[in-house]
Parts: sequence; C-alpha cells; structure tokens
Amino acid sequence: MSHIHIPDGVLPVWLWTAGWLAALLMIALAGCFAARSQAQRKVPLLGVVAALMIVGMSSEIVPIAYHVNLSVIGGILLGPALSVIAAFVVGLVLAMLGHGGVTVLGLNTMVIGAEMLIGWALFRGIVSILGRRRAGLSAGLTTVMTLALTTTALVGIVWLGGGGQAADRETGALDPATLRFERPLEEGVLEVGLFGGGHDHDHAHDDHNHHDDHDHAHDESERFLSVGRFAAVVYTLGPIGWLIEALVTAGIIGYVARIRPAMVFEGALAEKARRIPGDEAGGM
Amino acid sequence: MHIGRIDESATSGDSWLHRVSPVGKLLAFALVLAAVIVSWNVLLVGSLTLSLAAVAVSARLKPRLTFALAAYPAVFALVFAFSASTSVLGGVTIVLKAVTAALGAIIVVLTTPYPYVFAPIQRIVPTIVGDALLMTYRSLFLLLEKFANLLTAARLRAGLATGHPIRSARATTGALGGLLLYSIDLSQRSYDVMRVRGYEGRLRAPIPRSQAPLIDIALVLSALALLAVSVTWRLGWQELNPYSWALPILPAHALLAALLTWRRRA
Repeated sequence: MSHIHIPDGVLPVWLWTAGWLAALLMIALAGCFAARSQAQRKVPLLGVVAALMIVGMSSEIVPIAYHVNLSVIGGILLGPALSVIAAFVVGLVLAMLGHGGVTVLGLNTMVIGAEMLIGWALFRGIVSILGRRRAGLSAGLTTVMTLALTTTALVGIVWLGGGGQAADRETGALDPATLRFERPLEEGVLEVGLFGGGHDHDHAHDDHNHHDDHDHAHDESERFLSVGRFAAVVYTLGPIGWLIEALVTAGIIGYVARIRPAMVFEGALAEKARRIPGDEAGGM
Repeated sequence: MHIGRIDESATSGDSWLHRVSPVGKLLAFALVLAAVIVSWNVLLVGSLTLSLAAVAVSARLKPRLTFALAAYPAVFALVFAFSASTSVLGGVTIVLKAVTAALGAIIVVLTTPYPYVFAPIQRIVPTIVGDALLMTYRSLFLLLEKFANLLTAARLRAGLATGHPIRSARATTGALGGLLLYSIDLSQRSYDVMRVRGYEGRLRAPIPRSQAPLIDIALVLSALALLAVSVTWRLGWQELNPYSWALPILPAHALLAALLTWRRRA
C-alpha cells in the first residue's frame, strides 16, 4: 500500500511533474555522491536488491490487494545514496511491466526512496537501543513504523491530488433518461481545459457566492476523490500487509545479520576492500 | 513473475511490431499514454483499450501473458478507484485507464528486448543508474531461478509443510536470506569478471536501427491520431459527448479483424 498504485492521468499534472522533478534532483544528487564514493563497485549489490524488491512487489496477496515491498531490507543493505537509485530503478522496471504508472514514477521514487531512507535510519536507531543480537526484531519494528509513515504520505499525496476541485473531471456520463452522454457536473462546469481539471473557477467562484449555505456539502459532492474513504481502506487493509512485511523483513535481516553482520550493520559503502564471501572475520 | 516468458517473447518474437525500432515504439507508447492521461470519457478510454488489444493480437503476442500482465494493475486500481472515487463511472474510468496504460507498456516490453527498452534512458541518467538497470534485469533471472530451486529443495526436505505455517514461514524467510546472499556473491563475481574484461564503469546498450521505417512512421502517426482524438474530445466534450457511442466501433472492428487473422494463421 505504501507506494502509489494510482493509474496514469488521475493525479493532476502539477503534482506528478513536481514528483518527477524532485525525483530527478534526488537521483542526480545520489549519482554525484555515488561517483565520489566509488559506488560503482556496488552495482551488483544494487542490482540484486532492486531485483529482490521487484520480485516482492510483483507477488500479489490478492485478498487484501497487497504485495510486500522489501524496501526496508533494501534501505538497510544499501544505505541512503544507493537507496534512491534503487527506488528509481524498481519504479521504472515495474512501470514498464505495467505495474505502477509512468507519470507517477517520480512520486513512486520519492515514496519508495523515503521508505528505504526512513527504514535505514530507524533500523540504526532501534539497533542502537535493542542491540545487534536483536537485528531481526529491530528490522520488524522498523518495517511497521516505516510503512505506517509512508502510507500516511500516500494518503497525503491523494489528498493533494484528488481532494480538491482542481481534480473535478468530465467522465462522459450516460444519462439513462435521454440515452445521451451528458455532463455529470451540472453546475459550475462551463469549459474543460486540457489539463485544468475541468472546472471553471470564475463560475465556481460565483457559484460559491450564491450558495454559501450549502458550500461544504456541495464541495464534497463535487470532489473527484474521497480522501477519507481512501484513508479508511488503506488504514484497514494496510496493517495486515505491514505485519506480513515485518515478519518477512525480520526473517531475512535476522538471517543476514547472523551470516554477514557487516552487510547489515556497516552499510554497503563502508566496505572499502573486497572481502572473500563468508570470510568477513578475516579467517579468524 | 513471468520475466522469462516476457524475455522470450521480446527476443524470439517475429511480428511486425518486433521489427519496429525501440525508439518508435517508445514514442508511440508516450503518445498513447498522453491520450490516456487527457481522456476522461469512459468510452474513449475503452476505445483506446480496444485499439491496443487489436495491436497486441495482430502482433501475435501470447494473449494469456499479455492480458494477465495488463490485468495485474487493475486489482490495485480497483481498490483505489472504489475507495477514493466519488462516482461509479469515475471508478470504472480509473480502472480502465490503469489497464490501458499497462497494456501499452506491456506491448512495448513484449516486443522489445530489455536492453533496447532502457538504452535511450541510459543516455540521460547518471552512469550508475544506467548500469543498475541492466544489472537489475540480470539479477532478476538469477534470483527467480535460484528461488524456485531453493523452494523445491526445501519442500523435498519437508522444510515447507502446509500443516506448519510458522515453520514454513521461518524456512521460507531463511531461504530468502540465503538466496539474497548467494545472489549477491554471484553477481559480485560477474562484476569482477566484467572488470577483468575491460569494464570501466559504463555498460552501454546500443539503440538498434529500424528494420521497417515505414511501419515505424505508421505506428507513430496512428498513436498521434489517437492522441488527437483524445485532445479534441477533451476540449470539445460538450458538443462531442452525444456521439461517444461511435468511438469504439472502429477499434472493435480492428480487434475483430486481428482476431480473425490470428485464428486463420493458427
């Protein structure tokens, strides 16, 4: 639930354009940082973690319309700079497989990237309190908190994009009485701009002046998206998914922390020299 | 995850769409996507879906794979549409938009090998992102194959049993952890081999030339026509909406013709 499953063309252009610009800025910064810290040698790790996330996100739990993201695992293993790149790569591959829109790719990168960054930071904080021996538990707790935060961010995006009159749309509603396609928003709609969202603001303004009494009820009925209902659904189904994801994350991170502790506790870019797999203690 | 079948269709297919250049297909996809974005008439979006379905059938793409992949986002769109949309028609339009955009993207990936899809993107993103795109795809195969083998091994050794969900969950997550480490090592080894063979921090996928430039032009022009109809409808919807019923006729006939041709060839 945490990343955006909103199809192309539902959110207003200003919102997804802003998402793309912010994501590109984040990627450029991450790219510069990666170049300076010789992160090129971590491309194989980046590829495997991104692939793991793609497999997770492509395996749907149908009854609750949920899929695991494994983004917290990605954040813990990759660290902040590589996480942003992985988020973009995952979003792009999924968009080309028809899962997630192309226009919302920028927003998706930001949400998944935020999930990975928050996951990385929270995990480090929780491990410092609970200790390294409880890495699995720390990862589980981190996952639940991170997903709760990013789901709230998702609801915020829907509120920004669909909760206002700018999102009113003409849907070509069929009038059963006349069998003609009439405009569904009978009041306040005079012309439809290509990207304006189909609402004449001057007319809407006049309308508001004339109908002060039932302003709020009228606004609510003309809203394109019901943010309250959407929030109710994601906060009802979401926690089941968070729990499943927390269990998976705890299991995987617990296992990796036992076998390769440096990978979990030091971060991807901390390792300066190439180590022989399984010999992290230097043969001790 | 049908990644193996997607790759097989992209690399082994030999339809008219496979011969179109990746740039042409991406351009046509962008135009169709723009048409989906500006359209809010349910019949217009439905017509776009029918048009793309006709393209998919005429290119002899595997129907089960194509439409199953296109339907996948519909499940999530359904949850979104019917929880957030304030009207049923709006909800239906949202779901149709998701399916149409997904179908467009899937037609591109089912007819274009992965490196060519991302070759133009590689030119504009930082080096590490371009390389990561290619390494991710390679890792996907690695991961899926090893995971399938691992699950079979775990099942054979009674690690996964239906009567013991907790034990099965622990075994599966442990297996996933082991698989992750194994894949990282394997991928790191390939990277080392690449370095030895001269890799200097940039994997450059070539952009192939078109084998049929005329089809390229026809495809892009058709996509442009779809966008033109969508824009016209969006701007003049008050006058045009009473004629919305006419929109699906042409794409429906095109789909029927493609189906008949496909059956005759089969």
